Amino acid sequence: MSTDIEFELNGKPVRIATPETRRAIDLLREDLHLTGSKEGCGAGECGACAVLIGDEIRLACLMLAGQLAGRRVTTIEGLPHSALGARLLRAFAEAGAVQCGYCIPGMEMAAFDLLRREPDPSRERIREALSGNLCRCTGYVKIVDAVRLAAAGDAGPESPPDGAAA
Amino acid sequence: MADAVSALAVGWPETRADARAKAEGREPYAADLYPEGVLWAGAVRPGARLGIAHGRIQRIGTAAAEALPGVLKVLTAKDVPGTNRQGIVHKDMPVLADGKIRYVGDPVALVIATSREELEEAIRLVEVDIEPLPAVYDPDTALADGAPKVHEERAGNILAAAGIRVGGGADALAQCDAVVEGVFETPVQAHGFLETENGVACREADGSLTITASTQAPFRDRLEIGHALGVPFEHIRVIAPCLGGGFGGKDGATVQCLLALAALNTGGRPVKMQWSREENLLAGYRRHACRIEYRLGAMRDGRLHAVHCRLVYDTGAYAHLGGEVMALGMEHAGGPYRIPHVRIEGKCVYTNNPVAGAMRAFGVAQATFAFESMMDVLAAKLGADPLELRRQNALRPGDTNCAGVVLENSVGIGGCLELIAGHPHWTGRAAWKAAAPPGKRRGVGLASVFNAAGYGANVRDAAIAKVELTADGRILVYNAVADMGQGNASAFVQMAGHILAQDASRVEVRQPDTAAAYPSGSSSASRTTFTFGNALIAACTQLKARLINRAGLLLFVDDDTALELVPGKVVHAPSRRETALAQLASFMRPEERCCLGEFVAPLCRDTAGAGNGFFVGFPHVIFSYGAHLARVEADLATGAITAVDYVAATDGGRVINPVMFEQQVHGGVAQGLGYALMEDLATRQGQVLATDFASYPMPGALDLPDIVSLACESEERTGPFGMKGIGEVAMNGPLPAVANALADACGVRLWRAPLTPERVWQALDQAAGQARESAA
Amino acid sequence: MTRFHAAHSLTEALALLHEETDTRPMAGGTDILVRMRRSPPAVPLTLIGIEGVPELQGIREEPSWLSIGAATPFAAIAASPLIAAHAPLLQDAARAVGAPAIRNMATLGGNLCTASPAGDSLPPLYVLDAEVELASKAGRRRMAVSDFILGPGETQLEPGEILCRVLVPHAPPIARCQFEKVGRRRSLAIAVASFAGLLRVDGAGRIAGARFAFGSVGPAAVTVPEAEALLRGQLAVQPDPAAVERAVLAVCATVRPIDDLRASASYRRALAGNLLRRFLSPPSSPGLNAATGHASHG
Repeated sequence: MSTDIEFELNGKPVRIATPETRRAIDLLREDLHLTGSKEGCGAGECGACAVLIGDEIRLACLMLAGQLAGRRVTTIEGLPHSALGARLLRAFAEAGAVQCGYCIPGMEMAAFDLLRREPDPSRERIREALSGNLCRCTGYVKIVDAVRLAAAGDAGPESPPDGAAA
Repeated sequence: MADAVSALAVGWPETRADARAKAEGREPYAADLYPEGVLWAGAVRPGARLGIAHGRIQRIGTAAAEALPGVLKVLTAKDVPGTNRQGIVHKDMPVLADGKIRYVGDPVALVIATSREELEEAIRLVEVDIEPLPAVYDPDTALADGAPKVHEERAGNILAAAGIRVGGGADALAQCDAVVEGVFETPVQAHGFLETENGVACREADGSLTITASTQAPFRDRLEIGHALGVPFEHIRVIAPCLGGGFGGKDGATVQCLLALAALNTGGRPVKMQWSREENLLAGYRRHACRIEYRLGAMRDGRLHAVHCRLVYDTGAYAHLGGEVMALGMEHAGGPYRIPHVRIEGKCVYTNNPVAGAMRAFGVAQATFAFESMMDVLAAKLGADPLELRRQNALRPGDTNCAGVVLENSVGIGGCLELIAGHPHWTGRAAWKAAAPPGKRRGVGLASVFNAAGYGANVRDAAIAKVELTADGRILVYNAVADMGQGNASAFVQMAGHILAQDASRVEVRQPDTAAAYPSGSSSASRTTFTFGNALIAACTQLKARLINRAGLLLFVDDDTALELVPGKVVHAPSRRETALAQLASFMRPEERCCLGEFVAPLCRDTAGAGNGFFVGFPHVIFSYGAHLARVEADLATGAITAVDYVAATDGGRVINPVMFEQQVHGGVAQGLGYALMEDLATRQGQVLATDFASYPMPGALDLPDIVSLACESEERTGPFGMKGIGEVAMNGPLPAVANALADACGVRLWRAPLTPERVWQALDQAAGQARESAA
Repeated sequence: MTRFHAAHSLTEALALLHEETDTRPMAGGTDILVRMRRSPPAVPLTLIGIEGVPELQGIREEPSWLSIGAATPFAAIAASPLIAAHAPLLQDAARAVGAPAIRNMATLGGNLCTASPAGDSLPPLYVLDAEVELASKAGRRRMAVSDFILGPGETQLEPGEILCRVLVPHAPPIARCQFEKVGRRRSLAIAVASFAGLLRVDGAGRIAGARFAFGSVGPAAVTVPEAEALLRGQLAVQPDPAAVERAVLAVCATVRPIDDLRASASYRRALAGNLLRRFLSPPSSPGLNAATGHASHG
């Protein structure tokens, strides 16, 4: 019982036949091969599947394919397309925020959402913004560091695209 | 451009090799594999549905499920071709339950379907009749005379029982000026890795099996699958991509044998199994619950004199590493202290609870809660400063530890305690406590910790590393020990780059694949970087010599000391001639471009009869150490404790990478604070009460402080570049440190973890009640 | 198999609810999809997506009340200046819901229809005397939130009916209000107990009206009119400790908590009393105030 669903995915139009009740996370990962978004709990408790719908962060495990129709969807794969997104991803790598990495895409989506609204958030604000994203490896310290690093780099010059780290 | 780059260097905070790919969502985890035409496999676990943890399987009705369109097969124990038994040390766990189920998560059937939705529906349609059997849900009941047996062949439900006796044993308590005692209980803890147990398997055209799984032990998986399913080892290939967390929970069979069984029945189509979070909490491994009785005695001047403790671990329905968990807990039960007289008794008991297995700091996290709480109780009784008492008794090189082992390797507990003693959080504690906000109390708590590294006696702890100069002149490390996030693969890149003088862009790592790497044990026991790293040093050293030798041939130089490896080439400085590594590679045959290195970790050769009843894994010779300091605030109206800040000083030998060192300490402390404050995967009548992450809370970003990690470096002469593994040691501190800080803040001590707001409130209420009574 | 239809107007949503059997309205989906995951429905359901229905959106000031569209997500409530001005208690509760992504999805109406005893919005709506407006093909009806909610997961919503607005009536100024949630952790907290309280005062600074409601300590939010009455006439900034203790006792005697995985009934009962006490007489000196409900005696 598939329906054609159209939406914008990481800046490009997508049209795909899928049951309207297919979970958005399955549609993205299995059908569209965008496996950067992760599933950690399937019940909205871990944030690993966070994506942007329009300008808002949402959880792809609690959305149905039908809800995506006509929407603008941004996943971790689309984040490097913006200067802020690219800076954020680089900051996560350089600040040592990445361990097993499974929570990281969702964490970055939540951080991206925050930095777009608040370019210079305090550590406490960052913790609030990331409070729906569980990480079992890091203790969050370096994740908060990474968001601060990306925020601090706001006014700085853009690094070259292949940005060789020191 | 290439000239500007500098080689990777051990000791520097190099960016992890996997960081960019993971940050961009490109790292391929096992869970990200969806091969073309993949089928879905899932287990039928009727115990939860039926509310039965122990029962005889009467009937498995598969017809309704098989009749569903999209269902390929429903397999039961009779379809398992081999022994149908898996287990790391004891092979007591069926792939599919035959005869009876021993806990709620025991699988009785395996369904294979064409989609996940059809699979879920089919699993619901498999009818299972189970006749309940009398069951045992706690060690006391399980140990009682005439208790129902979890395994027929296991008298008294005892998986393991052992003892340690040093000096005069428990009798020496009578000589002490002060003796304190306590009984402690620790909860079951879930690993909480975000990538649930999963994998993909396929039977190749030649009949062999290829399994890609989220696993900590690809080489052992091959043995497990071969044994359980009767498949020759050489027909099994296991690939272990980066794991989305492990913490011990993927050390041992989860999906591996089930997936292999499925793949034997799909006619060559690939098949995927991915546990839901609910299935993970029901059937995944978990940390052992433990009950600990403790008596600790000292002389008036503070010298520890004798300790006597009993530890009883609940291993659940199957052995996994239960005996080894118990052994490790016992080996640490005396703390990192000099105690001349020791008596430690341990039991590991089968029950009809879910299976407890390996988890970060296994056995030790439980024991540390007890001995470090007792140290504070003792300090109070002696009127001693808790830090001074620990300093006075801290182990030094050459001392004999509580397991009777003379310490010949590095011992950094003293240095860690010095770092804490000088930290402003300790020196300024009185003022900080006095500034508690209204309605709150503040307290400061210490914990000394240590954790053994390596498999321990009677288990060969060995690794074989392979390194290759690729045809295009780069360095490729064949990692054989899975990277579950701790960063061992990046450490290997850094070590190889350091030895071979190559920069990050020229060193690559290939994650474990039994077809490409060599058996090197599991990723566990704080031995991963230590053991494989040593083997890798041997391989890289050999490759370096070979590259210098070949460059000498090409450049007509006979003095090796004049030739230098630099990023991308070998240079002869006196003549300013050089040869690119790619050019060098083109002159070498493939087998010449590869070097193997081997290493066997040091073992304890003389246990002097201190232990009896141990099977494997006791004792150890190398330990990491730490001293922790927690500052907490207790809300008197709610009982909620906040860890306001946390300092962990850690001796892990030399630091390979300061950032990765901090990562491990932060993560261990975070998991430890969850264990201390909120996590409890409790059961009632063998049924798991928490079904998801809403009912099993773990710390989020708002629940943890900015943890501070301090390195107290020592030189471990047996370690690669002088390092020791620190993946586990930090896990041990938070529970006792927070319990001690709570006692400091409010004068109440909790003997049972986690220290939930409700338990704190109850203790406060009780204390207030007693205060009123004594006032009246 | 479950089906999904997105509605684009209230008329369409009501029509879809009527046309099919076994339909359920779904706004953000954060509750219903989790519930369906936990216990798959015995019959295939048709979910009617209503988050995109314009009539169910938005926060407006109207002559008698503040009108909040039922499909307004908590994030919008948390950010709304109108809510800040008219219903700060509800705003505090909205900010305590889940985490940012959940607040972008979960709606006020969904929280009411789920009718969980732990629903964060319920205690504030009770003390604000809020009402709900329900629509069906037959027309509209209104009732108090406290009448709408019958018990855990049970409401007066009939099949074919949609909760379309929540109305917060304009009322005399509030001198002080507080929302507090106690969970097992701060991130993604689920209430072990929650509290919403407000005080209105007369010209002399005495309490003219006190309202309290407690979450997670009964089948629905619990109000305690007896305790509210006990405080009338007390100085708002410094009520008589004996009156406070009587109110606390009344609360502890009224709440009907249960034992569950999260906490015991006895702890929840004490917590309800402690939260009220802390609201009425905030502790002033370190550690001297009530730990356990007895300290004021000393």
